[in-house]
Amino acid sequence: MTSNRKRKLVIMLVLSVALLLSPITGTATVQAEGASNSYNYSFWGNTVVSPDAYDATKLLTGHNLGVGSLKDPSDLHVTADGHIYVLDSGNNRIIVLDDKFKLLHIIDSFEHAGQQDTFASPQGIFVTEHNQLYIADTGNKRVVHLDEQRQLVQIVDSPQSELLQANFEFKPVRVVVDKANRIYVMATGVFDGFMEFNANGEFTTFIGANRVNVDPLEYLWKTLSTREQRSQMVQFTPTEFTNLDINDEGFIYATNGDQWGDNIKKLNAQGTDILRREGYFNPTGDIRYRVTDGPSRMIDIDVTDSEIYSVLDSKRGRIFTYNGDGHLMYVFGGLGNQLGKFTTPVAIERVGDQMLVLDKALGEITVFETTPYGRTLNEAVRSYYRGDEEAAFQRYLETINMNANLEFAYSGIGKALLRQGNYGEAMKYFKESYDNKGYSKAFLLHRKEILRSYFPTIMTILVTLLLAIFVWRKVRKWKGGKKIVTIE
Amino acid sequence: MSPSSKELIKYPFYLIVHPFNGYWELKYERSNKWNVIISFVILFLLALTNILHSQYAGFLVNIYNPKEMNSLMEFLYVIVPVLFWCIANWSLTTLMDGEGKFVEIFNSTCFALIPLVVINFPWIWLSNVVALEETTFYYFSRSFAVIWFVFLLFVGNMTVHQYTPLKTIFTMLLTLLAIGFMAFLCLLFFSLVQQIISFISVIYQEMVMRG
Repeated sequence: MTSNRKRKLVIMLVLSVALLLSPITGTATVQAEGASNSYNYSFWGNTVVSPDAYDATKLLTGHNLGVGSLKDPSDLHVTADGHIYVLDSGNNRIIVLDDKFKLLHIIDSFEHAGQQDTFASPQGIFVTEHNQLYIADTGNKRVVHLDEQRQLVQIVDSPQSELLQANFEFKPVRVVVDKANRIYVMATGVFDGFMEFNANGEFTTFIGANRVNVDPLEYLWKTLSTREQRSQMVQFTPTEFTNLDINDEGFIYATNGDQWGDNIKKLNAQGTDILRREGYFNPTGDIRYRVTDGPSRMIDIDVTDSEIYSVLDSKRGRIFTYNGDGHLMYVFGGLGNQLGKFTTPVAIERVGDQMLVLDKALGEITVFETTPYGRTLNEAVRSYYRGDEEAAFQRYLETINMNANLEFAYSGIGKALLRQGNYGEAMKYFKESYDNKGYSKAFLLHRKEILRSYFPTIMTILVTLLLAIFVWRKVRKWKGGKKIVTIE
Repeated sequence: MSPSSKELIKYPFYLIVHPFNGYWELKYERSNKWNVIISFVILFLLALTNILHSQYAGFLVNIYNPKEMNSLMEFLYVIVPVLFWCIANWSLTTLMDGEGKFVEIFNSTCFALIPLVVINFPWIWLSNVVALEETTFYYFSRSFAVIWFVFLLFVGNMTVHQYTPLKTIFTMLLTLLAIGFMAFLCLLFFSLVQQIISFISVIYQEMVMRG
């Protein structure tokens, strides 16, 4: 219903803007598509306009899926074959859709020890490439593992370890599984990172603990106060993670609720953060915000191929997408009542190039499709990641045609030109994207080329100059000698 | 008596390589009028170097935002610190048995700035033909220029006031402190003036609105 109305509205808006501008500019160019509603950050940290990379096209509700309204859904998962798993937490069930958003089936119970067992407000879901289903069954304090026939394989609960306190209560909220079937669980009240379980469901260790961030002012108060006062205060604890995802290479991408520091992390098997932060700014969502509003609060992350990942900011409802180097590619979404805005977004997931955003309170899923701009940019980043420089060059050129403000794209063009041997041009593009490493590389080769081509001329001039000086000195000496002779 | 123009150009270069003799001559043997003229030329050249640097220095050593570049401000960035230094130094040394007059302090400070021009100016153009690995030389030269400048300032201060080395160092540190005080007072003064002006303008507005 809204898609048509929205289009009308956009056209009306564009027309009215054009009308407003026409007396000033004389010739107003009406752009129907790719209106600059989105933004990006320039090298200098200013907000610059950018075309939309994604457009909201569809709204999925429980009713139009034919399953009754969703109640507090909390997680989404999409498998490689395009099956969409919606975790309808309030109704304790899992709704499985195909990539056309048609209902396949509903999972609401499984056979456990001879009788039907159900979930109790499950919060997280993960499906492996072999169609193994893992559900963080929070209310029942367990992780349930079902196979492709939806038969129970195992239940992970009440982990035993000396790393855990005696009164530890296992409350899993999110779960991912790697290729070796190790289970990584994010549990509430755990400050030591993610809980890692082996394939048999035994707790092995914690990985990737966040650092403790201490507010200097609070620290001062704490040092000034007495022991009794201190015991009343909140303890300094590391922030909890807010979500996690795993890519096909087995790296865990995680977000946490830090107000400062790195709130997006890429963890390797040892739990060290190996996220590349080589963009103009560290990937943390918004870098310009009102002090009263504070920085972004990340609550979900979705990593796709070519190291592209998107994070969801619950504070402003925006979805930020970064490439593997940490350059901000595009931003979309927001809080509001129109199509493409949300009230309480909780989860994001990609189906191919479509993006699904789950709204918890409304129980709706918004489907976003790429615009031509978004498609080109995605393709450019992917081509570059694949090492297909020629395709990347073409796509990046198209991208900057649509958005001249996208500074990191110039670097992509520069790299392709460098590979082609066009060093002078490459330098220009590197300069445009403030990439001094690339610039220096191109410059060295350019300098060598120039020196080589002018070498004969330079040498000729040098030799002639030396000769001239030599001769001039001789002549002066000879003349001078004569002068002395005459004086004497 | 006006010195020959060749001598006028040669003298500053003589001073920076022979600071002890050079500053002695500056204080006791040379005409103050010409020294002041040279000093202003040096200040102008330094500001010019800074402006040219932000406009023409190589991309690798100079990523600057053209929107934030203001040539007039560049002049202020040179003149204001020098004036602050001279005033603070003069105020202190008059109390601390310094023999220098204000004009001598000003001249000695300006002459000490010469290395910053002489070394940095060629690097504006040289920095366009270096790669990232070679920028080390650039940064080395710049630090060298700063060290040279501090040394000249030290010798100049010592000679002008006829201090011992230790007392000179002490005075220079005190001068920095005094600059801090002066900056604070200036800030206070300007914010007070601003408040008074806004107070008057608000009263005026109110009268106009009601009347």
